[in-house]
Amino acid sequence: MIAMKNKIVFALLCFVISGTPVVAEEINAQKLLEQVDDNLWANTKFITGRLIIDNGRKVRTLTQDSWMQGVDRSYSHYKSPAREKGTKMLKIGGKLWMYTPRTDRKILIAGHLLRQSMMGSDLSYEDMMEDHKLSHSYSAIFENFEDFASTRCAVLHLVARDKETTYQTRKVWISPENQRVLKEERFAKSGKLLKRIVFKDYERIGSRQFPRTMIFRDMLKENTKTTYKFDVIEFDVEIPAKYFSQSILKR
Amino acid sequence: MNWEIANKNFYRQGLRAFLNVLVTALSIIALIFMLSLLNGFQAQATRNLVSTDVGGGHYRVPGFDILTPTEWEDFTMPVPEVLSGLAKKDKAEVLVQQGQLYPNRRLFPVQLRGIEMDQSLLHLPLAGLKFYEDKPGGEIPAVVGVKMARKAHLKKGDTVVLKWRDKGGAVDARDVLIVDVGDINNPRIDDGVVWLRLDHLRLMTDREGEVSWVAVREYLGLVNGFEFHGIDLLMSDLLALLRQDRINSKILWGILMVLVCTSVFNTQILNIFKRQKEIGTLMALGMEPGRIVRIFTLEGVLAALWALVLAIFLGVPFFIWFQGVGFDVSHLSEASFPIRETIYPDYQPREILVSVFIVLALMIAAAWVPVKKIIRLDPTLALRGRAIT
Repeated sequence: MIAMKNKIVFALLCFVISGTPVVAEEINAQKLLEQVDDNLWANTKFITGRLIIDNGRKVRTLTQDSWMQGVDRSYSHYKSPAREKGTKMLKIGGKLWMYTPRTDRKILIAGHLLRQSMMGSDLSYEDMMEDHKLSHSYSAIFENFEDFASTRCAVLHLVARDKETTYQTRKVWISPENQRVLKEERFAKSGKLLKRIVFKDYERIGSRQFPRTMIFRDMLKENTKTTYKFDVIEFDVEIPAKYFSQSILKR
Repeated sequence: MNWEIANKNFYRQGLRAFLNVLVTALSIIALIFMLSLLNGFQAQATRNLVSTDVGGGHYRVPGFDILTPTEWEDFTMPVPEVLSGLAKKDKAEVLVQQGQLYPNRRLFPVQLRGIEMDQSLLHLPLAGLKFYEDKPGGEIPAVVGVKMARKAHLKKGDTVVLKWRDKGGAVDARDVLIVDVGDINNPRIDDGVVWLRLDHLRLMTDREGEVSWVAVREYLGLVNGFEFHGIDLLMSDLLALLRQDRINSKILWGILMVLVCTSVFNTQILNIFKRQKEIGTLMALGMEPGRIVRIFTLEGVLAALWALVLAIFLGVPFFIWFQGVGFDVSHLSEASFPIRETIYPDYQPREILVSVFIVLALMIAAAWVPVKKIIRLDPTLALRGRAIT
């Protein structure tokens, strides 16, 4: 009887010890990241969305239409509130122009200014405008499995391929089943957690699954969050060339 | 003879003469006080700036502008040999970068200023940083000024998160330990500034051997790749302000002088009006009109001289007393003036002499202008009191 029990314990131990690497090997971190990119990333995108900025004392909602083309070009037009209505942002390459109707002037936001908080939100201009493939900028390493939002997720540790990438490391929680990113954390070089992004309300749009809600939190600030809600998303749309011309930055 | 007559006439004026003398004396005191206070302010502000920030001038990376924080990261360079080889008492290497501090988890944009620990050119309360090694450990040691500590609600021993970018643009963040809250008498390097060891800041930002500027004791000629900013250029805003202040004080002084001259002028007009019979008599007795003018003008000179005596009598004790108590300008530090302590007037003998001379000259002129019409007076009309109506 005792011998039988020992055999069962031994068999269970073997299963546990040998089981984990088998599961780990099943996850090809880089491939999974590429799949995520393929799902989220498109050559052109049109988004109508709301940016809900909660600074802990006051909540402001900005509505905007955005058109994006590749990683270099994007154009946003803010529709509300009254204070921001008519504000336009045009990103071409590493430069961002902002037009405000109240001053009727366009301002170039370049270089280090891109790293400042955008309209008091938890996102920098750089965060807001970035739309690059994670699999291109980062090398992915599978860490472990974790449950998040009742979903079993593969946790990938991303390490930047070059020294100039803003966040040198990131961590992403991806459901391997449907390649949905559910959470992302962005770290400083020292490893300090800077930003946490939660992706919610996934919906199928054409052949893709896209989160309708993204919640950004600046982890160095207290009680602040910025929720980006996508009301309309269209992929691979045709965008008129005038949208990426500085001539659009006027009333 | 003229002097005696003028003297007699002057004392006969009584209260009118005394009031003229008093107003003029007070004007002289006010003028000297205003100028000396401005001198003291400028001298003290210059001393503070030179000893804490400017030194004898900066060799700066061309294009660096302290008022454009978003570009500080673009203007850093390795220290040229001619500057790095200077003695520690003759130069201070400084690196300035942008940072974001999170006291109580609220964003507070700051200037990160790294300075050599063994320099002795600038006098800064950074002793708390000297005991740390050249590589930061778990927490980065930092010193902030009193004003910065008050604004960011920081105190000695606090730990707070600091975020910055390295040379490549990668974002980094670490805990910073406030090892000291220093009393910096120059608000420009206190408000919004976090002081770090230069070696730490260089490591944090991947800028080994780089600086934004090198403060030097004196100009060393052209240095390749760097441009020299002298004291006047580095203090240009303050000097412009003081220049404007001097103009304002001159306007004030001008108004004061107009009042004094009007008073003297008015007294002289009244004198010749009231004393036209006396003037007529003197002319009838054969006194030349020019001499009468001289006598009346001498009365003005007497008033000016007595004003000077009274100014010395009242002013010297006042200036001695004020030199002891000074003028509290602590409120100015809120407006980023590089001065926080009590200021004391700086009396410049040459300036005082020139000012007094101008006052006396104006008084004599004001005394002479109304009486010069005596030359044209008809003695017969003057005798009857009808020459001036």
